[in-house]
Amino acid sequence: MHEGKVLAYKRINRDLLSGLFENQLRYWAIVMFLGLVVLVAVVAAGFMVNRGVGVTGLNRPVFWGFFITNFVFWIGISHAGVMLSAILRLSKAEWRRPATRAAEVLTIFSLMTAVLMPFIHTGRPWRLMYWVFPYDFQRGIWPDIRSPLVWDPSAVNTYLISSILFVFIALIPDLAVIRDRSSGIRRIAYSVLSLGWRGTPRQWKLQAIAGILLSALILPVFVSVHSIVSWDFGMAVSVSSWHSTIFAPYFVIGAVHSGVSGVVTVMILMRWLFRWEEYVRKEHIDALARLLIVIAIAWFYFFAMEFIFGIYGQEGDELATRTLQIFGEPWGWWFLTFIITAFFFPVPLWLFRNVRRSFLLMTITTISVNIGMWLERFLIIVPGLARKQIFTQSWHTYAPSPIEIAIVVGTFALVLMLFLLFAKVFPLIPIFDIKEGQVLKDEIKIGRRKVPAVIREE
Amino acid sequence: MKISRRNFLMLAGFSTLGAVACNFFDEREFIAQSPVQLPEDLVTGRDNWYATLCRQCPETEGLIVRVIEGRAKKIQGSPPYPTNLGGHSVRCEAGLQALYHPERINGPLIREGPRGSGVYRSIGWDEALNVLVGQTRNRPDPGGVLMVTEPLRGSLAHLVDSFTAAYGSRHAAFQPMEETPYARVVRDTLGQQTMPTFDIKNSNFLLSFGADFLSTWNAPVQFSKGYGEFRQGIGRQRGTLAQVDPRFSLTAANADLWAPINPGMEGKLALSIAQVIVSEGLADPARVGEMTRGMDPAALDAYAPDRIFQELGLPPLHHTHPVDVIRNLARDFARGGSRSLAIGGASAGAHTNGLFNLSAIFALNFLVGSVGAEGGVKFNSPPPIPELAAVHAPAATGEWRDVIGDIDGGRIRVLLFRGVNPVHDLSPDLNLRGALNRDDLFIASFSSFLDETTEMADLILPDKAPLEEWGNDVPTPGPGFEIVGMQQPVVNPLPGMNPMSFADLLLQLSRELGLASSAPLDRFVFQDVLKDHAAKLHGLNRGSVQEPTFDAFWNRLLQQGGWWDPSATATASAPTPPSYAGILNRARDPAITGPTGGNTFNLVPFQSISLSDGRGANLPWLQSTTDPLTTVAWTTWLEMNTEVANLIGLGEGDFVLVEGANGASIKAQIYHHPAVPPGVVSIPVGQGHTADLRYSKNRGWNPLAILGVPMEDETQSLAWASTRVRIVKTGETTPIPKFEGIVPAFRPNEEEAIVKVTRG
Amino acid sequence: MANEHKWGMVIDIDRCTGCQACVAACQAENNIPINEEKDFLSRRAKQWIRIDRVWEGKFPNVKARFIPVLCQHCENAPCEPVCPVYATYHNNQGLNVQVYNRCVGTRYCANNCPYQVRFFNFFDPEWPGTLWNQLNPDVTIRSRGIMEKCTFCVQRIRRGERTVEGQRGERLNDQTLKEGNYMPACVNACPTDTLLFGDLNDTASQVSRRSGDRRHYKLLDRLGTDPNVVYLKKVDPYAEEEEAHA
Ligand SMILES: Nc1nc2c(c(=O)[nH]1)N[C@H]1C(S)=C(S)[C@@H](COP(=O)(O)OP(=O)(O)OC[C@H]3O[C@@H](n4cnc5c(=O)[nH]c(N)nc54)[C@H](O)[C@@H]3O)O[C@H]1N2
Ligand SMILES: Nc1nc2c(c(=O)[nH]1)N[C@H]1C(S)=C(S)[C@@H](COP(=O)(O)OP(=O)(O)OC[C@H]3O[C@@H](n4cnc5c(=O)[nH]c(N)nc54)[C@H](O)[C@@H]3O)O[C@H]1N2
Ligand code: SF4
Ligand code: SF4
Ligand code: SF4
Ligand code: SF4
Ligand code: SF4
Repeated sequence: MHEGKVLAYKRINRDLLSGLFENQLRYWAIVMFLGLVVLVAVVAAGFMVNRGVGVTGLNRPVFWGFFITNFVFWIGISHAGVMLSAILRLSKAEWRRPATRAAEVLTIFSLMTAVLMPFIHTGRPWRLMYWVFPYDFQRGIWPDIRSPLVWDPSAVNTYLISSILFVFIALIPDLAVIRDRSSGIRRIAYSVLSLGWRGTPRQWKLQAIAGILLSALILPVFVSVHSIVSWDFGMAVSVSSWHSTIFAPYFVIGAVHSGVSGVVTVMILMRWLFRWEEYVRKEHIDALARLLIVIAIAWFYFFAMEFIFGIYGQEGDELATRTLQIFGEPWGWWFLTFIITAFFFPVPLWLFRNVRRSFLLMTITTISVNIGMWLERFLIIVPGLARKQIFTQSWHTYAPSPIEIAIVVGTFALVLMLFLLFAKVFPLIPIFDIKEGQVLKDEIKIGRRKVPAVIREE
Repeated sequence: MKISRRNFLMLAGFSTLGAVACNFFDEREFIAQSPVQLPEDLVTGRDNWYATLCRQCPETEGLIVRVIEGRAKKIQGSPPYPTNLGGHSVRCEAGLQALYHPERINGPLIREGPRGSGVYRSIGWDEALNVLVGQTRNRPDPGGVLMVTEPLRGSLAHLVDSFTAAYGSRHAAFQPMEETPYARVVRDTLGQQTMPTFDIKNSNFLLSFGADFLSTWNAPVQFSKGYGEFRQGIGRQRGTLAQVDPRFSLTAANADLWAPINPGMEGKLALSIAQVIVSEGLADPARVGEMTRGMDPAALDAYAPDRIFQELGLPPLHHTHPVDVIRNLARDFARGGSRSLAIGGASAGAHTNGLFNLSAIFALNFLVGSVGAEGGVKFNSPPPIPELAAVHAPAATGEWRDVIGDIDGGRIRVLLFRGVNPVHDLSPDLNLRGALNRDDLFIASFSSFLDETTEMADLILPDKAPLEEWGNDVPTPGPGFEIVGMQQPVVNPLPGMNPMSFADLLLQLSRELGLASSAPLDRFVFQDVLKDHAAKLHGLNRGSVQEPTFDAFWNRLLQQGGWWDPSATATASAPTPPSYAGILNRARDPAITGPTGGNTFNLVPFQSISLSDGRGANLPWLQSTTDPLTTVAWTTWLEMNTEVANLIGLGEGDFVLVEGANGASIKAQIYHHPAVPPGVVSIPVGQGHTADLRYSKNRGWNPLAILGVPMEDETQSLAWASTRVRIVKTGETTPIPKFEGIVPAFRPNEEEAIVKVTRG
Repeated sequence: MANEHKWGMVIDIDRCTGCQACVAACQAENNIPINEEKDFLSRRAKQWIRIDRVWEGKFPNVKARFIPVLCQHCENAPCEPVCPVYATYHNNQGLNVQVYNRCVGTRYCANNCPYQVRFFNFFDPEWPGTLWNQLNPDVTIRSRGIMEKCTFCVQRIRRGERTVEGQRGERLNDQTLKEGNYMPACVNACPTDTLLFGDLNDTASQVSRRSGDRRHYKLLDRLGTDPNVVYLKKVDPYAEEEEAHA
């Protein structure tokens, strides 16, 4: 399982901090490009704010479209962080070490991006003050706590804050390492951030306890966030295909499916970008792929159930939505694309060890999952609205406008860009964690073979 | 910070970025709004409601208009006004936009460029009047002066007639899609001088032929009021409506039974119904005897249902053979007795055999004795005072051909247009536009908008909007008793707006021409004429307004929006029933002209509920009013049966060329309509304007342009429903602007239907 | 209060001809922006009251059914609890009230209104030139980003109250406002008297008497929204025959 070479601490420091201290042309070229895409999205959003939401393809009855789809998608991606870090940390899965930080950081940035979406979606973001920050205390009007849209910011903000804490706790030892290697303003900044870390046993102990405690505490939050997001839809009695009790677990598992796939994609990208061949290794990807098989099958179960429940009731408007989702023009084609890319293409491939250990194929399959999962949300939201009730005269369709497409593409660039910029400032692979892994690692002899193993003091 | 060049550039860059970013936002957006200003808390100013008349279509209804601080805000039906009883039509509200339209002409204009170029110069009223007087004073041939108005009634008709008589000029009334055959049937068959109304409210069985009386035909609001009671009035059985119509009109859509027959066959179907009633002895024998005077009643047998059902093109309805459909119609109609009502008009009269169709249809009322009876045809008495009796019948298309000949031949030298747009509405085959292009012709228009006719004028003298004007009207048809509606200005023209009332101008012109020697031309303003006539009403000392002094009477008259006397019903003796011998003499098939062969259809143009004949096409509320059946707005659509359209490969939104009888063609956009008979297509009139008005210019097409000039055999009125057209695909397609979604809205299933239906 | 008003409407579909007068009246009364051609093409046209036309059957036995649909002022309105900022709430007179100033534009309420009667201002409204003069000063102009819908012409109810107050020279209690002092624009316009408006709590009112008609039903009753709008079924002598042959 643990096939990597044993590396010197110095080498580990140099490799993992290379992003911070070396300026690579490749890196900056990519960041600039992503920045440009983000800029286009910002201009598009500004244009929309200036003119009105009318520049989108939204209409009556399809009042929610690309933006909300994208919101749910990024919330979904954000689930990888906790899933990997917390669960794996608690279960002491050894192969987690290089993956955790990337996953957590992905959580934070995708959450932030997700939070942006409703702001953009309303078209007049400053008005959200009433909603998110009910500043008008004097008149005694508070947000309506019956609304899922009030649960949403509560859950997402809790998740965001705890994720940031989670990452920060794990970062402290590494920050100290950087502090020791930098000078000037940088040194001051890192000194402040590393909270006086000296690596004393008491500090190590506190850090470890904080990490484990947060892992345990964050798990319920993680389950609740996407459950609550799913209730944006599940609570809508009027949209028959949304009004479903299965949505919470279905959304959570779907989120994990897309989130973990996203982490794999990003890890492979890091490996290529920062030349971390020694740290992100085949066995890591292999392990994640096996996990993905389990998740994907669980997800598929809920997916199938959702349809069976929908069709079982034999209600006219729900059947109309389902028909539209599966056979309607043009949604039928997207539906086919969705189930193939989200399940039938990647999952059978993952059954093969060679695939699981091929970086190229894993990149393709995990990206494919996320294409599928994006479409999944889209196909829940839009056809559901397009055939809301039996008012057949109001049935319509939806096509995104270039503005919406630009903004959605921009969010992908934004997450990637933030991710890369983060790598410029903080190590994306936890240095101390890798070192800890090295300490615990040894080779033991079983018969004539030398097998890598981990020694644990229980 | 030290200002180095580098820092300076950086700061400059940031502020530029900031400026660009801020430019995205509108300052207003940052104004904090009161979060507790609920709609319920709004504190409002004082309003006044003034009674006046609606002038948005040839029918007039009583209105009350809400005015706040000198601006008209809302138009509403006047509840006591007897014809509309508070209701109004969709067109009525747009009166506000006619008032506040940004393109209203704000003062007199004189032509600068060549005729039709639309280049005008603003002048003052004095100068404008001088020009007009110069053109009319000391003419050797006053007969060379022709005034064209919409059909006028009441005091204005009296004024115009007096002017015409005193000056010796000519006058003609113009109305697009005029219904001369109907007017003739009212005179000849029903024996009436005034238009009758129909007592739908008390009727039990209503058999309508082509008359879209719930939409645009005749007096739709008055009839709708009756219709509501007819359906579900408390304490009466539910009335049954059968509509015979080659097109699925709004009335057909509301009918219990819709009988789609071949266009122009309405008269024969009416004869067939009569045959069943006579042969089965369902009607009073004495009446049958009277109506079959001078003939063998068996002569009707040629129209027995089994002999002619194929000719009628009637398909089986509700799983009943067409022959039985006709028989059932006849039996139901006869069973209703004097509470059965047969009405006909619109497309039924717009054929070469239109007069025959309508005669045969209205004769049915005599057969069952519903003429003059409760629940039947209800007569109107003449107006209470003779000065209001003048009614201008619109000239038939044949007469227009002669008039245009006169213009073209130089026999008419001065043309005055008021409230009409014949350049757009008359068939281009008559070439009015060409005739107007004479240098020795002087044209003045009193329109407040630059329509196609006004664009040809030398002088434009913008009239006041109806809500700024004085007037009165004797609604036609009336409610069955004497009524005079009063129109008063509810607002003054906006600042900067300088219109002049047409009637006042006519009085001034009379003074200048030396015609002001006797009433009404000797009055200074039109309001005085109205007061004269009101004084006569006052003198009657009866009716809804009775006051000791004239001033009090006048005030109450205006307050109430008119005068009426429900006890003054028609006194004329019952007319002699028509003889079937005469009707059979007239019987003939319609002559339908136009291309033959593949992809040809009978064209049934219609007046849509929003634009009607197109007079309000420049008003955005009317353009944006959706057609009730297709939900289309803002364009000209062609209703084609969905299956037929699929068969010839026409998708919804496809543009087609519609080639008509005269070789001309227009475009139209296909609407897939499940209820149009396969051999018929229909197109609404009212669009296709070219005058420079933002809401109507180059919008849609005018189907009247492809009809040629087919005319009813006897009355010379336009037989606008008798054209066959060829539909040619153009390959162009765009989505059609409509309110409904992209899915054909069929009722999904029984239990869940949003429109729940119960039987009988 | 014990005897609050409960505003409601009765709509007799058998009377409705689909004539659109109510739609135009509402447009005029409530400052609803002009529905331009592009609004139809992008399907954002606003009609607080709309006439749904539903086809039924096949030529020649084809029928068009009309049903006026406006906000049902649900007692148990799905649009209300989903609004995060109380921009849409229920008042104690049975009205579903929309507070434009508080709306942040999430459009959630529109998704959760089963009757599809909520309309979003995708752009700022426009009344070119002097057309501004026709606007009703009693009704707020909704800027872009704001949800709107039928209010049962609450401004007219309030005006009715004030008129009665003025006549009596005293504050009104809720029982003194009686039928005839208020009338929504659409009800006023309807030439067939399809629409009736009044106080469902007032047993003498036309609406409370007519809402007990044997033909009564409520739209999408199974959802339990408990609308304050009652429909009376269309009567069609041929209805069952069609079914029997279908
Ligand atoms: N007779 C009489 N006249 C008075 C007064 C009086 O006591 N008696 N008081 C005077 C005084 S003190 C004042 S302050 C003025 C107030 O007079 P106005 O300024 O006219 O005040 P309002 O009528 O409250 O608000 C005007 C409009 O702004 C809209 N509005 C609300 N919030 C916003 C927003 O955020 N953005 C935009 N664009 N519009 C918004 C409201 O819907 C309303 O239509 O009246 C003065 N006039
Ligand atoms: N419900 C509701 N509440 C509102 C508003 C609203 O629109 N609706 N508007 C808000 C706004 S914008 C404002 S400005 C405030 C205004 O609120 P107030 O300042 O309370 O204004 P007024 O009601 O006009 O009362 C002023 C008092 O001054 C008296 N007064 C008049 N002239 C003189 C003078 O020369 N000398 C002295 N000493 N007294 C004088 C008057 O008789 C009156 O009693 O209300 C706010 N509150
Ligand atoms: S039918 Fe004509 S006169 Fe009557 S309200 Fe409508 S537009 Fe006015
Ligand atoms: S009809 Fe729709 S908008 Fe009106 S109260 Fe009910 S749910 Fe709300
Ligand atoms: S659109 Fe406005 S009213 Fe509707 S839920 Fe959002 S904030 Fe509330
Ligand atoms: S009650 Fe008022 S707001 Fe509601 S549809 Fe009727 S006119 Fe419009
Ligand atoms: S005004 Fe009355 S009859 Fe006309 S569409 Fe509206 S509800 Fe129906």
